[in-house]
Amino acid sequence: MSGPGNGDRAARQREDRELLRRYHEDGDPSAREQLIARHLPLVRSLARRYAGRGEPLEDIEQVGAIGLIKAIDRFDIEREVSLATYATPNVVGEIKRHFRDKGWAIRVPRSLQELNARMSGAIDDLTARLGHSPSVGEIAASLGTSNEEVLEALEVGSAYTALSLDAGPAGSDDDSDPMEAIGGEDAEFDRSEDRATLGPALAHLPDREREILRMRFEEGLPQTQIADRVGLSQMHVSRLIRRSLAAMREELE
Amino acid sequence: MTAEPVSGLERVEIDAPLDLAFQGVVRLVVGGIAEQADFGFEAMDDLQLAIERLLAETGGDGRVKISFELGDGVVRTRIGPLREGRLAAALQERNGDPGTLSLARILSAVVDSFGVEPADDGQIVVRLEKLGPPRP
Repeated sequence: MSGPGNGDRAARQREDRELLRRYHEDGDPSAREQLIARHLPLVRSLARRYAGRGEPLEDIEQVGAIGLIKAIDRFDIEREVSLATYATPNVVGEIKRHFRDKGWAIRVPRSLQELNARMSGAIDDLTARLGHSPSVGEIAASLGTSNEEVLEALEVGSAYTALSLDAGPAGSDDDSDPMEAIGGEDAEFDRSEDRATLGPALAHLPDREREILRMRFEEGLPQTQIADRVGLSQMHVSRLIRRSLAAMREELE
Repeated sequence: MTAEPVSGLERVEIDAPLDLAFQGVVRLVVGGIAEQADFGFEAMDDLQLAIERLLAETGGDGRVKISFELGDGVVRTRIGPLREGRLAAALQERNGDPGTLSLARILSAVVDSFGVEPADDGQIVVRLEKLGPPRP
């Protein structure tokens, strides 16, 4: 596979800088979205290196995308460095941190992963049939397993993974060189001051996740009603809430 | 981990690292506690989320003691002592602006009551009470 020519790369970097200027100086959110979309191919390329280690590639890409977003938000437009160069260690660092933090969760037996997959439908069926949220014992009885295995299988799905991002790439041109910044400069992360609310990070969530959090924490709707409204299983809603809150907290770190 | 009956309620205590790597272990214990209290999936998930978010606000250093008192349809949890720091600030934002999401708002939605008690050395203990919905 041959890479883009120097001229193409230089032009792309100029476009990136203009978008970064629009985002950081003018506060243009569409410029940020364009930057994310333009560099998602870089994230995918980096994520592929970590495939086959017990995590779905899609999840690794999503974690990497968080690193990309942090890099875009923290980029200092006075610095003479390309966004791809700056973002690469951020993305890789985010992925490595994810694997480190999930070390316990990703070594679960396949049988528990399969049980977890079956449980989602079982919880929704039982909720409808029984008229209440089923207990662990009721879930276990319906699946012919033990209470302990149900708890363990729930944990398989609950363990923190990155937030699902709805944004897709605007283009398909993968002309960033993922190797160009390996071993390069590390991002100088500014630790944000402690904040009591997660409000600022809320704005960075995809619409669906933001709406689910609004329904849960502003309207006070139970998971079952939210699941009905958004057309997902109760377990999926639970997982999205947990992931969204964790991602928002990370955003503030 | 220890377990003993206290005035009709069962009591369970754990002492765990605050490190994120142990979050799953704590959640698993909380799930087992909720199961013993005959909570449904949703109430169990709420309690797990409450404790998970509280621990996330502590900054992830050191260890934490969590004690549970569980009876028929109720789990009372005490977390701490914890350094006050950002946790106290997060718990005070009970009525944040619309569109914001504070820890207090999250807890208000997922547990039936919560509060803070002073502990030694300027630290705090956070109390949570979660009721399981009435069972048929």
